[in-house]
Amino acid sequence: MTTTPAIDIDRLNITYGDFHAVKNLSFQVEQGELYALLGTNGAGKTSTLEVVEGHRKASSGTVRVLGKSPGDRRAVRPRMGIMLQESGFSPDLTVAESIRLIGRLSGRTDSERRVLGVVDLTGKADTRVSQLSGGEKRRLDFATAVYGRPELIFLDEPTTGLDIQSRDALWDAVEQLRHDGSTVVLTTHYLEEAQQRADRIGLMHRGTFRHEGTVAELTRTLPAAIQFSLPPGAPAPLVQAGPGPDGSYLIETFELQSDLKQLLDWAHAHEVELLGLSAAPTRLDDVFRAIDAEPVPAAPAA
Amino acid sequence: MFSIARSELTQIFRNRAVLITSLIMPVAAAAFFIRFRETFGQIGSLGYVGAVIVFTIAAFSLYATTVTTLAARRQDLFLKRLRSTAASDASILTGLVLPVTVISAVQVGVILGVFAVLSDGPADVPLLVLGVVATFVMMLALGLATAGITNSPEHAQVTSLPLSLGVVAVTSWVGITGTQDLTLLKRLLPGGAATELIVNAWNGGAPLGDSLVLLAPTLAWVVVAVALALRMFRWEPRH
Repeated sequence: MTTTPAIDIDRLNITYGDFHAVKNLSFQVEQGELYALLGTNGAGKTSTLEVVEGHRKASSGTVRVLGKSPGDRRAVRPRMGIMLQESGFSPDLTVAESIRLIGRLSGRTDSERRVLGVVDLTGKADTRVSQLSGGEKRRLDFATAVYGRPELIFLDEPTTGLDIQSRDALWDAVEQLRHDGSTVVLTTHYLEEAQQRADRIGLMHRGTFRHEGTVAELTRTLPAAIQFSLPPGAPAPLVQAGPGPDGSYLIETFELQSDLKQLLDWAHAHEVELLGLSAAPTRLDDVFRAIDAEPVPAAPAA
Repeated sequence: MFSIARSELTQIFRNRAVLITSLIMPVAAAAFFIRFRETFGQIGSLGYVGAVIVFTIAAFSLYATTVTTLAARRQDLFLKRLRSTAASDASILTGLVLPVTVISAVQVGVILGVFAVLSDGPADVPLLVLGVVATFVMMLALGLATAGITNSPEHAQVTSLPLSLGVVAVTSWVGITGTQDLTLLKRLLPGGAATELIVNAWNGGAPLGDSLVLLAPTLAWVVVAVALALRMFRWEPRH
């Protein structure tokens, strides 16, 4: 038996007047997955997310959410929770009133106290939203998204403005939901978060995917780096590249382990101390930085 | 819908600025018209006093408050938040305007009730109710349309002024000078025919057929206002 994907997007296009924000984008998010939609500013990820959430109409292409049209609010919304990028709560309502209202309108059932506990806002239940800090508003937003434990959850930059404790608590709550089978779609500017949490990543640039795959697949496309510098008077090592302007060496390699061993063997043989030695696989940041340097791939045939 | 309406009521009562300028001020104005009803009755007629009370409340309690609160909810992205739930657009909008509509209807009911006791009551109650309902629907729909071009609650003080003052001015013009001359113009202006309808309903004496003819432009304005609302209302702020 094949399960329907939680999200199924086929050749999505979104245009604003002359501006083509999203171009022929196709991807699927499987049930139970944590999928991170990443991209440079203006890459089209917010537009894409808005179509999937049902806030915006696609110019062309098909989008299915939980097997249904995202515009079918009555069918789809009770099964999905949305954490918006900007919270959107009335400043004149209290925290508890906001959760009660949005929770009830979601069509799901849950206990207000449980949800307040999840985001550690129990003590703020009777505080007006206008009195909350930015981080507290994010947590309130998260609380409404996870109200009633929906099977699909959208988190649009969920940890922006949160302190470390709140961030950890939020990810613990997400892990718990995933444990119960929820699918999560994430956008974030904290790439290490995506690298740690996401099963798969779709990396958008100028309206299309530049990369899509697991974190390992993405980072594999770029070389790892070994860096060190030499004390004065040391012999030159057996590397192609000479030292940079600050005297440090940078070796980029797709065979980190063997190249590193070679370097260490050389240093051992010559009794050289490698100063500030570091060896690291490619980070997602580097994938991002490389985006602009890459040639634009030919558009896939429609 | 009712949970939205209840939260909206809470928000209106917690926001003192909205409460005073939009809900208490029109009542004070209506009290003023009733206090000097004899003077206004001589200038126009008692029916004019009734019409100007209805339009003052429809223009300020109902229309201006609708514009202000909808602009505020959109600016706070509260509308987008509501649209992220399972609620339909129709039930969201109904829930949002229900409290202010009920408050305005109660205001009109109580104030006209007091006025009726103090003067010779309305000659034709059903016709009066019809005139009030048509006026309310028109002003509500115009409120949605105006909210579409209003960026913030502060901006609403500018955007809502032309129509709220305009319809009250039309009411006074029609109510005081009657429709013997410039008949067509007076009846085609927004609120013009509705004013004549309410004046006739209060004073009596006009044949029912004549009053029912006045319903045509009144309902036409309702249709125009609803069409404008559908075209101009926006759920999210412009970026």
